[in-house]
Amino acid sequence: MKKTKASTVLAIVTALAVLAGCGGGGGSASGTKQQGSGAQGESDQPVAITIMANLHTPEVPSDKIEKLIEEKTNTKLEIQWVPDGTYDEKVNASFATGTLPQVTLLKNAASLINMRDAIRNGQFWEIGPYLQDYPNLSKLKPEVLKNTAVDGKIYAIYREVPLSRQGIIYRKDWADKLGLGAPTTIDEFYEMLKQFKENDPDGNGQNDTIPLTDRNDLVYGAFKTVSSWFGTPNNWGEKDGQLLPEFMFPEYVETMKFFKKLHQEGLINQDFPVTSKTDQQNLLTTGKAGVYIGAMGDVSSLEPKVLEINPDAELDVQNKIDGGPNGFGVWSVPGYGSVTLFPKTAIKTEEELKQVLSFVDQLMSPELANLIYWGIEGEHHTLEDGQVITTEDTKLWDREVKPYQVLQVGGPLTVEGFLEAKHTRPVKAKAEALIVENNDFLIEDPAAALDSKTYNEKGVQLQELIKDATYRFMLGDIDEDGFQAAVDNWLNSGGQQIIDEFNASNEASK
Amino acid sequence: MSETAVSTGMNPDVDVKPPKQDSGRMKRIIKNRAIYMMILPGFLYFLIFKYIPMSGLVIAFQDYQAFLGVMNSPWVGFKHFERLFTEPMFFTILSNTLILFMMNLLFYFPVPIILALMLNEVRREVFKRFIQTMVYIPHFMSWVIIVSISFVMLSMDRGIINELLAMMGFEKINFLMSSDWFRPMYVLQVIWREAGWGTIIYLAAMAAIDPGLYEASRIDGASRFRQIWHITLPSIRSVIVVLLILKIGDVLELGFEHVYLLLNSMNREVAEIFDTYVYTAGLRQGQFSFSTAVGFFKSIIGLIMVMLANWLAKKAGEEGIY
Amino acid sequence: MVHDKTIPSRIFDIVNYTLLLIIGLVTILPFLHVIAGSFTTVAELAQKRFVLFPTEWSLDAYRYIFSTNTIFKSLGVSVGVTFFGTMFSMLLTCLMAYGLSRKDLDGRNFIMFMVVFTMLFSGGMIPTFLVVKELGMIDTYAALIVPTAINAFNLIIMRNFFQNLPEGLEESAKIDGAGDWGILFRIVIPLSMPAIATISLFYAVTYWNTYMQAILYLNDGAKWPVQVILRQIVILASGLTADTSSMEDFVRPPEQTVKMAVIVVATLPILCVYPFLQKHFAKGALLGSIKG
Repeated sequence: MKKTKASTVLAIVTALAVLAGCGGGGGSASGTKQQGSGAQGESDQPVAITIMANLHTPEVPSDKIEKLIEEKTNTKLEIQWVPDGTYDEKVNASFATGTLPQVTLLKNAASLINMRDAIRNGQFWEIGPYLQDYPNLSKLKPEVLKNTAVDGKIYAIYREVPLSRQGIIYRKDWADKLGLGAPTTIDEFYEMLKQFKENDPDGNGQNDTIPLTDRNDLVYGAFKTVSSWFGTPNNWGEKDGQLLPEFMFPEYVETMKFFKKLHQEGLINQDFPVTSKTDQQNLLTTGKAGVYIGAMGDVSSLEPKVLEINPDAELDVQNKIDGGPNGFGVWSVPGYGSVTLFPKTAIKTEEELKQVLSFVDQLMSPELANLIYWGIEGEHHTLEDGQVITTEDTKLWDREVKPYQVLQVGGPLTVEGFLEAKHTRPVKAKAEALIVENNDFLIEDPAAALDSKTYNEKGVQLQELIKDATYRFMLGDIDEDGFQAAVDNWLNSGGQQIIDEFNASNEASK
Repeated sequence: MSETAVSTGMNPDVDVKPPKQDSGRMKRIIKNRAIYMMILPGFLYFLIFKYIPMSGLVIAFQDYQAFLGVMNSPWVGFKHFERLFTEPMFFTILSNTLILFMMNLLFYFPVPIILALMLNEVRREVFKRFIQTMVYIPHFMSWVIIVSISFVMLSMDRGIINELLAMMGFEKINFLMSSDWFRPMYVLQVIWREAGWGTIIYLAAMAAIDPGLYEASRIDGASRFRQIWHITLPSIRSVIVVLLILKIGDVLELGFEHVYLLLNSMNREVAEIFDTYVYTAGLRQGQFSFSTAVGFFKSIIGLIMVMLANWLAKKAGEEGIY
Repeated sequence: MVHDKTIPSRIFDIVNYTLLLIIGLVTILPFLHVIAGSFTTVAELAQKRFVLFPTEWSLDAYRYIFSTNTIFKSLGVSVGVTFFGTMFSMLLTCLMAYGLSRKDLDGRNFIMFMVVFTMLFSGGMIPTFLVVKELGMIDTYAALIVPTAINAFNLIIMRNFFQNLPEGLEESAKIDGAGDWGILFRIVIPLSMPAIATISLFYAVTYWNTYMQAILYLNDGAKWPVQVILRQIVILASGLTADTSSMEDFVRPPEQTVKMAVIVVATLPILCVYPFLQKHFAKGALLGSIKG
């Protein structure tokens, strides 16, 4: 058998050499199809641009809008659509094999954090110094760009999102029937839930309503929004001049206690830690539940469903809940949704980068920004008093317009002449107005632009400890001591390092 | 093992060297050259698509950064293995994984065999095919669907089973968020989805049994159970052994997607297994080296188990798989 | 065939049939729910949550998914990949399995061990991606077939079936002057139809379910097989991705009925394969007939 072992080793060594060849070369040897584009850029030849973007629709998108973009920017686009659920895997695999396209979208802040080391290593173009040269890109907000920066340098452009969409959606007809107004304090909110539970708001003679419907998400579900009412900081907060995670603040514990009470008294769906968003919304649309906390914009998809089952139902939205000493408050996101990076493996020269940036700049022009977001007038929307009414044909919209919305650069705050929607549903219009109003009392995340090595490595895993403890507290599985033990565990397993590193990063950025 | 060992990846039958002292073996190899030709394409397949990529395992000993590649990433020795073994949850995860595996082996593994034996006793072809088709359908439904249907059944709010329990005057049971119910729920779902599918191999093996054997035994007055015991089971024994060995090698592979969908904060202490742990601790944060190290550890355990099982099988007079 | 008509045997049959019927019903119920759900209205499905027989019939879900040709195209891709992939895999697998079933073969155990080893150790996604890329298979359907051409499990099972063929067959064929290739194609394969049917089915189902390879290796969405569309709809409709990205305004998940309908459409074709293969599983179908 000796010989066999030797030959196995030999085979593996050969294999290694082959792989190393590929892996080492991954950075340089694998520029893709667009190599020729740089040289012929100045002629009238369309410039080839490759893009990778996540797809949110069930279908393969139609290329109607793509063709129009190509025509208006004199480019030849090659868009790799990747299903949203597998997007990060595809980005990682493409990155490791040096096959990222010129314009690479990252889904969200978490994906950007995962790329930080690579960015530091110079795998992507630093675009900060170039932005001022472009009429539209120069309008991107510095304070948002700062949140995407790595070591203070700007590598990414962003797609704008509203700072905070959070609020309450509730059954106004139920509240009216019981003589309740929109809740303005936590006590009134609790009272509403209690009455919804006890006083048979749906009038079916049975005590079968679930007042609040929530889901398995501590952030975009109800928990974080309610924690804002109590005055909990957003992810990180300052105490005695030091940054500490939100769960080390008493307000966080207050919020947990509140939920524990709701759970014990049957004012929230008993299964909320395992309820999917679909099931959560289902409880509201089928008239089992009366209150929903989350993105207020969801009302536009919820209302028609509620009405289909019960034409007499009425939904309303509400945002300002006074939690006592701190006044109103609602947590906010750092101002960007997805971001776009420009890999050096695909963009070889500065000249090529300028071409790509010029293309991206054009996407931000009013004409193209509106085309990307609203589609073609007369086909996908109509204009009324300068406002957009989108088509009722959701299938057409999903196929031809919606996928391209991810390509949007900037947004209403940064694109002049970005068309506004005319909401045919009054409650949707109200929701949009409240989202704007939220801007008056935002609780921002002070650590959004900060960096911690330990957090990048272990943050997600450690956060699970806190998530578990939070749920178990709310369900009455552990008490305050138990929760404190979980926090201690978090501190000992690397949390203290995260605190130290964020504080150091905070000092450095001042 | 011959000198021309196929393992160098060379075409074994053109690589024949002048016979040495072992000329009997050489002759055999020359005689079997057509057989080596048959093996060659598959052999190359394994080399190119399995063994070459396998060199990627070295990143378990590195702090791999995609942009540096395998060649330039720093070597860190056993750092990632140390992180795994010093993880406070390590023994919980290990025992969770092993318990689920044992439950799978005890409660799932025999089910397809029994089901296949039952189907094999059916003489009405139409009925048999009808049932076969029914039981094999669940295999085609993804775990996402199966788990979401079970949630509809088992939920505390409006779940059908809990409504029934309540109607009959029992207390509702929190199946979805209970440490006690996680394991039975997992195994039942595995049985439900895979048992019918698992019968196919056994039925194929049973199709090769000579019907004459049954007739002879019937004439001897053997009961149906005796026939099953003395004819059917022995005929599929080697398939059972092979499947058992392979199953044992999968000791730490329990289906990531399935467990991940069932996992929540309330049952994590029994439901966290290696795959779900790696997903949160490694993959979601782009920790490829750590994920690979955990995979490596799982593979070593699997290898030991397979070798042990194969050795035992051979001891017991079976063929084994290699 | 003489039938056994004794009373214990009758009782055995009755118990056996009843049990099988119950098992069959229990396993099929959720699928019936999916079918029923695809033919009902959104409102009914939302209210009842578990539907076995719709009271309000509706074809809206099917109208929705068939209103464009995406599904047809992707079904076509899946059928093609499944058909050619299964052929290719069966060829390689049968050749290798037969070779390895020959007990007089030197190096057999070593190669078998090598095969088993690949079931346990795998280099992962990225090194395989590199190999596929270096071979120029990115954006070709070959990338969905060649990298998964042989499944070690299937190979081992196939070899086990070949090994269990009666010993004397090969010897007598050799005496009649047949070569190794002749023995394989004219004697061994025809005698192994149950095994061939089984392993073909396994391969066909694997190819039908190909998902990750399609995402990784096909950059062009027009080439996607049906599983990509199916998973995209199921994941969106189950609300599994929604909140990881702050895209709530974009994400308007497909209706539950559409999810059900697309499951039906993407599953039926592969379900139909099995009944065609079933005749090969009939008891004693083969060996009995050639023994004489």
